[in-house]
Amino acid sequence: MQNSSSSSSLMVKQEFFTKWKKGLKIYSAFNKEMTIMERKRAIKLSADVAIASTRSATTQWSRAVVAEVSSSAAGAARIAAEEILGRKLSTERRKAQAGKKIVRRRRKAAARGAVRSSAAAVAKKVVRNRRRVLKRLIPGWKKLDEICLIKETLDYIASLQVQVDVMRHLANAGETLHHQQILL
Amino acid sequence: MEPNIEAVPLQFRSGISGAKTGGIGFVFDDIRGLIPNLQETDGTSFTALLELSAPQAVELLVKEDSPAKTMPLPIFPSNIALIDRASVFSVFASADNPPDRTNILSVSSSMKVDSVKEEPLESEYHRNSSSPAVSNQSLKSIKRKEREKKVKKSSKKVVANEASDGSGEQLPYVHVRARRGQATGSHSLAERARREKINARMKLLQDLVPGCNKISGTAMVLDEIINHVQALQRQVEFLSMRLAAVNPSLLAIDSESSIDNSYLGMFPPSIWPEGQMNGSRQQQPWLTDGLHPYDTSNFITPENSLLSYDSPANSASSQLKMEL
Repeated sequence: MQNSSSSSSLMVKQEFFTKWKKGLKIYSAFNKEMTIMERKRAIKLSADVAIASTRSATTQWSRAVVAEVSSSAAGAARIAAEEILGRKLSTERRKAQAGKKIVRRRRKAAARGAVRSSAAAVAKKVVRNRRRVLKRLIPGWKKLDEICLIKETLDYIASLQVQVDVMRHLANAGETLHHQQILL
Repeated sequence: MEPNIEAVPLQFRSGISGAKTGGIGFVFDDIRGLIPNLQETDGTSFTALLELSAPQAVELLVKEDSPAKTMPLPIFPSNIALIDRASVFSVFASADNPPDRTNILSVSSSMKVDSVKEEPLESEYHRNSSSPAVSNQSLKSIKRKEREKKVKKSSKKVVANEASDGSGEQLPYVHVRARRGQATGSHSLAERARREKINARMKLLQDLVPGCNKISGTAMVLDEIINHVQALQRQVEFLSMRLAAVNPSLLAIDSESSIDNSYLGMFPPSIWPEGQMNGSRQQQPWLTDGLHPYDTSNFITPENSLLSYDSPANSASSQLKMEL
């Protein structure tokens, strides 16, 4: 990895980290004592919103993450998300996102005719199924067509990688500290 | 046709490696100019995450960057090839060499999918490491495309003007040149352009997901990608559970914005002031004195892949924090 590229990815990681911490601060300000599940949810939500905000509004998946949070979040979560993003969340559903026209093609199965048993057709079917599965994994998949799917997957994978890296380092360092505190 | 294509690059590879003429020089200079571009890359951009220079091609593909930033890039021939594949959303800058550019434009879409496509991608990946080799490769690809154009001349589809009027404007139409023996209906051309776009992006995906390079076949590659995404998502879940379990004090973070600011270069160490913030600052000295022999080694080992060049600053500011 070149120094320049790793430094720019480091910037993304730092940005993610600061935003994440911001969200966690808000959570801790709300209730000092949280159960472990609540903590986990707080951590995850803050992390998701933080990593989505690093890509803010340029990608479909980040918009979908923010929309999901804004529609289903309560109390502390909402305020944390707003703080991370720096803006108010809108609760209303937007009718049609501009720019994405998804053409739902009716599968005219009857018009297909005979069962295609050639190898190419089977391969195509397999590929199509896998694409559908992949699509479902990306947040905000309803609005993705095939071309955008690949682009969004690229971005999403990279962002997930950043998220996982930062969280893993934090967890490792925290655990080492914890063990040392116990030992001492 | 295949032997014809393969023979050409070999010729030029031997020919170009010897001579460094002015013609190669301008490509080289542009490549040199590209490298500072990479270093100025905005941290929040798509390119930052992928940590590769190739994502700049994707940026071009999706027209996300400002024209000023991408201006030198389209002169790079393989970038132009990728741009062209992206059809309507390509961004073009004013080229110094309109004839060359139009040649490349009109020919690029008629390239053979496999051999030439791998080359631009590879040349972009290795851009930082070996610019002379890349310039050789790119020039070779230019020459090869010109050869191809001469060899395979079939119906040409020029829809609009070459967009040679200024910088940063979009190319309104795809300049697709059909190859010999291929359907030249507008539908098939558009479909072919679309397919090439998809294939280009799939290649980028393949390079991002580890272990996908060796796999051939879309179904397997997609399988790997799906597994990777699922694994990453699961990791996020597990890590958040781990963080919740290991460190209740993690969430009891005081608003120590000064700490955040002081750790701009190194994020992992900033957690242990927070971890120790069980209330008062007085606890810090005795904890940190004991921890000090451990901290740098512990932090460097997990993070050496990221912060290897930061580690001296790492320990320096950790010591600084201890003194406080």
